[in-house]
Amino acid sequence: MAYSEKVIEHAENPRNVGTLDKEDPNVGTGLVGAPACGDVMRLQIKVSDAGVIEDAKFKTFGCGSAIASSSLATEWLKGRTLEEAATIRNTDIVKELNLPPVKIHCSVLAEDAIKSAIEDFRKKQSAKRSS
Amino acid sequence: MTDPFDLLGVARRFSLDRAALEQRHRDLSRTLHPDRYVQAPPGERRMALDRAVAVNEAFRALRDPLTRAEALLTAHGLSVGDADRPSQALLLEVMDLREALDEGRRTPAKVTALLEQVRARTKSEENLLAAVFDGETPPDAAALARARDALVRLKYFRRFEDEADDALDS
Repeated sequence: MAYSEKVIEHAENPRNVGTLDKEDPNVGTGLVGAPACGDVMRLQIKVSDAGVIEDAKFKTFGCGSAIASSSLATEWLKGRTLEEAATIRNTDIVKELNLPPVKIHCSVLAEDAIKSAIEDFRKKQSAKRSS
Repeated sequence: MTDPFDLLGVARRFSLDRAALEQRHRDLSRTLHPDRYVQAPPGERRMALDRAVAVNEAFRALRDPLTRAEALLTAHGLSVGDADRPSQALLLEVMDLREALDEGRRTPAKVTALLEQVRARTKSEENLLAAVFDGETPPDAAALARARDALVRLKYFRRFEDEADDALDS
């Protein structure tokens, strides 16, 4: 499997690996996986009261492309508003990392992880408001 | 690929007699061996060779409980693909396991304990698959859906077992 330089760079030096406190009401957590290859990906965002993503962390157990896709996603998320974050598409990740067709599902996983993290954050916020 | 159960002439069940499967593979391989086709017309020779390759593939598929489960589901028109999303419960379990393996990587006793735990989980999924596919009556849609979920879990547990084995080897 020939990985692109960018994939190798992210896989060898992943950005923002780690964990945010998932009980924190300002943290949204997305946990997704691809059963065909046994990958699991967790992506977390910490959102300021102004609705801007201050921090993003991920942990992925999977192939180099899955690690690179989630690493890149966390880089892109920081500093964006939730609305801007929701516009990130897997095709952007494919383009940036030069992913081959067989690895496109890794970028789809990363997009799903972003959406789940945003959804989790919004759910927490509405629970907080209604309590 | 032809149905591996048909190709090897064994019953379409999850539990199978390993020794009988190996015997069947040996017998078929002997029958299809190229030495027996030296005098045969080229077309026949090539067909025997193709069939021998298919028999080997089928044997490998049935030997492993995970690919055997896949073959059984395929026979019922079901599969697990890239677009499938596992349950949150499974993902939480797997994430915990993988993080524990990461932390305990350098302590063989810890890795072995995790491996034992996951092997027990694998065993219970295999029991579930046997209950679905080895009954008196063919499985219904609900049973097949349970089998498919079990296969997803088996794939994750296999991946974990491979990683844990690697950690023990290094």
